[in-house]
Amino acid sequence: MSDLVKEKLREIITRHISPSEEAWLLQKAVAPPLELMTAFVSCPRFLPKRIVAPEEADEWTLSTEVPGFSITGWSLVRLARVWLLTQLDPSDKEVYVHHIETLFDTAEMNELVALYSALPLLSYPEQWLFRATDAVRSNMGFVFDAIALHNPYPEKYFSELAWNQLVLKTIFNDKPVYLIEGLENRANEKLALTLSDFAHERWAAGRSVPPGVWKLTSKFMNTTLLGDMQYLFESGRPEDRQAAALVCHEATFPSANYLLAKYSDLEKSVKSGQLTWADLEH
Amino acid sequence: MCINHNETTTNPSHFEESEQAAAPATHQDIAWNDYRELIKGMRFFDPHIHMVSRTTDDYQAMHQAGIVALIEPAFWVGQPRTGLSSFKDYYSSLVGWERFRSSQFGIKHYCTMGLNSREANNEQLAEQVMEILPLYIYKEGVVGIGEIGFDDQTAAEEKYYRLQLELAKEARLPVQIHTPHRDKKKGTERSMAIAIEHGIDPSWVIVDHNNEETVKSVLDKGFWAAFTIYPFTKMGNERMVKVVEQYGPERIMINSAADWGISDPLAIPKTAALMKMRGISDEAIKLVTYTNAIEAFGKSGQIDVADFESGFSIDQSEKFYGNSILRGGQQPSPVKESILIR
Ligand SMILES: [Zn+2]
Repeated sequence: MSDLVKEKLREIITRHISPSEEAWLLQKAVAPPLELMTAFVSCPRFLPKRIVAPEEADEWTLSTEVPGFSITGWSLVRLARVWLLTQLDPSDKEVYVHHIETLFDTAEMNELVALYSALPLLSYPEQWLFRATDAVRSNMGFVFDAIALHNPYPEKYFSELAWNQLVLKTIFNDKPVYLIEGLENRANEKLALTLSDFAHERWAAGRSVPPGVWKLTSKFMNTTLLGDMQYLFESGRPEDRQAAALVCHEATFPSANYLLAKYSDLEKSVKSGQLTWADLEH
Repeated sequence: MCINHNETTTNPSHFEESEQAAAPATHQDIAWNDYRELIKGMRFFDPHIHMVSRTTDDYQAMHQAGIVALIEPAFWVGQPRTGLSSFKDYYSSLVGWERFRSSQFGIKHYCTMGLNSREANNEQLAEQVMEILPLYIYKEGVVGIGEIGFDDQTAAEEKYYRLQLELAKEARLPVQIHTPHRDKKKGTERSMAIAIEHGIDPSWVIVDHNNEETVKSVLDKGFWAAFTIYPFTKMGNERMVKVVEQYGPERIMINSAADWGISDPLAIPKTAALMKMRGISDEAIKLVTYTNAIEAFGKSGQIDVADFESGFSIDQSEKFYGNSILRGGQQPSPVKESILIR
């Protein structure tokens, strides 16, 4: 990770705290590891409880340096903790990994959130794979969100199996799937078919599926999925029908295009660009 | 409980006085329904209770009896821990699962963190614990370093007591002192002298498990005097009433120290009822069962009475790490008064 990211994070933190609070943080950042780690824990005792308000330019810089990385909605404590982690000396791998592992081992919930948020910025990224996939299994809402939503780490490092679990669990937990970084890049046939199975289970139970998830199926359209599209078009829910229209429009499978042609109003709004996936992201 | 002071009984529960095995029960002669009326509307804060060894039934009973918040000090779990991991898991449970479980019964859970005196004697492990302790004492909701002090009054106990006093000073946290069962008077004096030697303001120190023998000196020196109401041991609640009558309610607080021994998580409400019966003023009762503990441990900056003073909403369907307090098919909060247990 470039120094530019560290600098930017520090700049944003500085805007939100007083000079004495900043002095405390800067002093801890250069302290010996255990003291720095203790500061990581004690941030809520020394820093104000508030949500950071990054400017557009800040977010632009961050996402240019680390694609998909964003701090929008973070608390100042979370941001300061992540920044402190970037100050740990990574030169000795064994020592560095031991320190991070210790923090994971002793963390309470908010600390875990900060640790998972920091994964895209840590050295030796492959070292945290087990922790990251474990977080997906955990049902602690905030912890799950920290790894699953707005976090570029899974896209880059998760195996297909782990990735698919993350997406399914997000849907299962009724979290906004479109907030997963790299959703389209990592679309795969297995996931598309699993989604179809999942939808059938939900439909059998008289429940629905968030319409945005169908986006993941268009590249893998086949006769099974086409049946699902048919079902969606016939659904009473407008957003289901809109999702089907978008999928059929994107799919290269000819029958999908024929199916879409039957619903001329929808076809028109998709083709004109009036209807997009963004309309289904809520 | 333990009759003979022999090899098999040398690990007493939290506040056992083995020499007094035949002591009478302290508060069995008044029934729940009698005292429940007396303390109606009162709120209690138990500044010393080991919920990790209690059941959810206790949480329910405590909530119904008016306990709105508690402090769980890190202590001995009944058998020695064999490695650092079990300390980590224990400390993590104090700020994690136990805090969550308590919240599910409408009780705000705080804790104190420390290496207990008994386990300070395993120096090799104690060293490792001291390494990670700073990562726990600064966590949110940690209101002090505790419970630390002396058990057998060994050199190792003194060493780790002193180290932890320094930690407390550095972290600006109150100290919760466990005073020994054997040779209590000397142990109490020594604990206080060492705290003063380390430059700690006595108003930041809660000396626990006091009795009539120790209370005067503790109060005279400016420390907080906590009393543990624990069945079959030195401090029963009838005597507690006399202590309050004699010394007044200033800087005195009571707790249950309920743990895995024969103990009573309702010790505070029961004692409050007894005080009420014996004519102690509501104001004094409130000080020793609520306000004083909040003032003492509130110096940590971690207690916000708004979090519990007017109750808080409970959602027993919430989960922690995917685990709920409810087992398969259970419904939240069964009605305890009903004879049918469904
Ligand atoms: Zn205790």
